[in-house]
Amino acid sequence: MEPLVRLHGITVRYDGRRNGGLVAITDVDLDIYQGEVVGIVGKSGSGKTTLLKVLAGLIRPVKGEVVFNNHKLNGNSFRVGVLFQSPLLLPWRTVIKNILLPIEVLGEDVSKYLSRALELIEKVGLKGFENSYPWELSGGMQQRVALCRALIHRPSLLLLDEPFSSLDAITREEMWMLLQDVISHEGCTTVLVTHDVREAVLLCDRVVVIGGKPGRVRAEVRVDFKRPRDLKLQYTKEFNDYVVMVRGLLGD
Amino acid sequence: MRLSRSRTLNSLVVLVFICVVWELVVDLLSIPQYILPTPTSIASTTIKYYDYLLRNLLDTSIHALVGLALAATFSLAISLPLAYSEVVRDTVYPLITGFNAIPRAALVPLLALWFGLGSMPKILTAFLIAFFPVLVPTLTAMVTIEKELWELLMSFGATKTQILIKVGIPRAMPYFLSSLHMGLTSSFVGTVIAEMVASDSGLGYVILSSTSRLDTALAFSCLILLALITFVLSKVLSVVERRVVGWAYRVST
Repeated sequence: MEPLVRLHGITVRYDGRRNGGLVAITDVDLDIYQGEVVGIVGKSGSGKTTLLKVLAGLIRPVKGEVVFNNHKLNGNSFRVGVLFQSPLLLPWRTVIKNILLPIEVLGEDVSKYLSRALELIEKVGLKGFENSYPWELSGGMQQRVALCRALIHRPSLLLLDEPFSSLDAITREEMWMLLQDVISHEGCTTVLVTHDVREAVLLCDRVVVIGGKPGRVRAEVRVDFKRPRDLKLQYTKEFNDYVVMVRGLLGD
Repeated sequence: MRLSRSRTLNSLVVLVFICVVWELVVDLLSIPQYILPTPTSIASTTIKYYDYLLRNLLDTSIHALVGLALAATFSLAISLPLAYSEVVRDTVYPLITGFNAIPRAALVPLLALWFGLGSMPKILTAFLIAFFPVLVPTLTAMVTIEKELWELLMSFGATKTQILIKVGIPRAMPYFLSSLHMGLTSSFVGTVIAEMVASDSGLGYVILSSTSRLDTALAFSCLILLALITFVLSKVLSVVERRVVGWAYRVST
């Protein structure tokens, strides 16, 4: 089977004045298959966010290539949905208008996406909040709105950059289950960048460990639990074996 | 609501108290009226010259507001290219800052020389003093969009122009509107200065001519009217702010 996205020999160098010539990641090869949930774990500064930004088309690698559906790419030319740690909602827009923002930017007919937006809102449990403003919602609710916005334009790839690390433990577990539910419903290929090993093992089909300076792929671990997974899985021996293994691969 | 009403009442009581003390001090120390008129004589002067004062108040206000409108329009219009291009910003902004360092009051004789006495120097002085305090916060809000928000918009293909329109402008609106309070007082200062130097109408002119006749009470009437009109206009502006950018004040609608 051909991968949906293939990263081949990716090297990224930042040539800003501040971090002059810093090589963030080097020679990274990564295949992402249709419908897969791939976790990228690494310590802070390991280049995992850089890798996500390459996938998002926000950073152009100095070496290597991004291949999408067998087409070599020059910059960003497939649709991605991004969810960052902070929800980044626009406070002057209501929930529904925040969600429809990508459609406006893409220049598509907003009215055609209205029912999809309402469906996503219902799916994440925010029915009735369509016309609320972001500041009227809790942090977890805001992040759910941001998830809808990341999905509204049917991206080929959903990119999550530590999406739940600013939430409390209970809300985070709720969001894990919600995310799993939404991903399987949408059938979207997902890349989850996180430093939380438990989160990666619980949600992903495959965990890629990045480490070193500059960052390289250290190992890949296939997580053989069937989806959908239950929160109780965390308390099993098999789950903890995975966690211990991935944690070990991260290094000290 | 009840709380704010009782606070307003408190302010009024303090104001009345100040006036009573003022009246007594002037009476007891026998200060001549042309040095410091009593509140009662200011009030009777205001009533006596009611028509005259109102006409000149209107004259001053119109010029100040036209100047402010020009300043607001100009600030918005140039903040867009300045926000869009760093090159334009680095080139033009130091020039604007440099111009701001010129005491604008000193330009009034030149403006009178170029445009004659009358409306033009009044409007232009108001404009020249008011535009900088409006431009700075507006531009700052446009160019300080968070990097992550910028990346988010880029990730679904937004162009720089789109980011400026969808984020920069709405984000700058609360700063723009609140800077108009500052611009409002500045524009009245500008118009009054121009009226003192190069005009034969408006409250600035009335202040100048009444003090030269030692009719100090009339000058005080003008000062009080100027304070009142800027206060009222500022309140009107606050209402507009709450309506237009209520989100910035977290006003649920």
